[in-house]
Amino acid sequence: MLNEERIILMTQLAAYEVNEGKRNVKIDHYFRSDYIAVQVLKSIVSSSIAFALVFALYVFYDFENFMQDLYKMDLIAFARDVLIRYGVSVVAYGVVTYIVCTYRYSRVKRSLKCYYHNLKKLNSLYRE
Amino acid sequence: MTGLLEFREKIKQLYSKAEFLLMPFMKFLLAFVTLLTLNRKLGYMTKLDNMAIVLIVALMCSFLPNSCIILFAALFSLLHVYALSMEAALVGLCMYLLMFLLFFRFTPKDSLVVVMTPLLCVMKIPFVIPIAVGLICGPASIVSVACGICVYYLLDTVIGSAPTINAMGEEETTAKLRLVIDAILDNKSMIVMIAAFGITVLVVYLIRRMSVDHSWTIAMVAGVITNIVILLIGDLLYDTNISVVSVLIGSLLALAVGKVIEFFRFCVDYSRTEKVQFEDDEYYYYVKAVPKMTVSVPTKTVKKINSQTRSSQQTRNASGRSVVTERTGVRASNASRVPGNHGNYRGGRSVTISGHGAGNGQGVDADDFEELL
Repeated sequence: MLNEERIILMTQLAAYEVNEGKRNVKIDHYFRSDYIAVQVLKSIVSSSIAFALVFALYVFYDFENFMQDLYKMDLIAFARDVLIRYGVSVVAYGVVTYIVCTYRYSRVKRSLKCYYHNLKKLNSLYRE
Repeated sequence: MTGLLEFREKIKQLYSKAEFLLMPFMKFLLAFVTLLTLNRKLGYMTKLDNMAIVLIVALMCSFLPNSCIILFAALFSLLHVYALSMEAALVGLCMYLLMFLLFFRFTPKDSLVVVMTPLLCVMKIPFVIPIAVGLICGPASIVSVACGICVYYLLDTVIGSAPTINAMGEEETTAKLRLVIDAILDNKSMIVMIAAFGITVLVVYLIRRMSVDHSWTIAMVAGVITNIVILLIGDLLYDTNISVVSVLIGSLLALAVGKVIEFFRFCVDYSRTEKVQFEDDEYYYYVKAVPKMTVSVPTKTVKKINSQTRSSQQTRNASGRSVVTERTGVRASNASRVPGNHGNYRGGRSVTISGHGAGNGQGVDADDFEELL
């Protein structure tokens, strides 16, 4: 005998597993701290590459003057200036990533809690 | 209204039946239009400006993930720009990489927004984007909208600078680079557009989530007004030369598109809003329930009255006729049911009387008349 409630629940769960659930389950495999740490680490790499790109464009933007001034300028002060800018941009991007990932992780947890609750409900429907 | 709801249900049914065909077709169409627009607007690489290549790539996009449309569009635009100037292509590549590294990580699902934004900007109807995104997506999509606007202005800048770049010599590498970077960084229109669209998306999103009647309509109107005001302020401050007429027409179009989106996503009947209040051990609940406007799918019930279903004496008349009645009923969920009134029954009843003998149509028995009436 077909149980309509069970079929509806199963369809909803299957649809969740195929779409949103797939990504959420992957995130759920991590502990909260591990997930955030991995994402922040990725952000550091991404922002480092992005900073390198911007710096390269800055150098090429005024390449002739830059090469002329290279021997006159205080290289240590210049390097310190560049490193400070690099540090600020990486830290800022890392903080944004931390906030986004914390929010995302808690949302995924809530969503999966609802999913597991529905799974239990489905299980109980089978036992009836 | 019932007719529109019926139409919506038909579209939904059609979509659910033919989703496996419609989705690839829509992706194909989007990729095709995007690549064709790129070829028409840029078109510096003549080898790429070939219908066969566009068709092949669009076909590939139809079964690949949505983000591949961005990838191919970026590739096409970079190749075109490279044919014009390697330096401009380098700037473009850096911009795309920055977007990919810093922004797309957080909004991987919004690839359609990134593609649609520059496309609608080219079609001179960009004001649809913030309203539609505010209604459908969340505030995180502001990033995607901003990226789309950056891409549009990057390509627009390259197209605008093309005569100057062509006039420059091969050896003026840094001058070309400087020209493109300056043109992008000094583009006040881009900054005004990003600010206007970003704030509009936020306003539309926040208002549509409010628990007030007609929140979606209020959100659209508020979004359009916000957009116009910010664009005009931007025009006053930075002299961006925005055409007021085109902004107004575009905003009206955005409202129309917003209403269509509302019809498909949030069609509710505020006249039947219910407010209930209850409590449990921990909370008091103040619940406002607004019913959706739905309509049952038109169904056809075919009732056959013929000699097989009845005794031969009762059903088959002298001429051996069979009576077939078809009822096509559509009832709106919010219809008032008045006894004796057929209300929202649409389509009514069609009757076919077919003769099997040499009858003249006078032989329908009493039961058949009941069915007919």
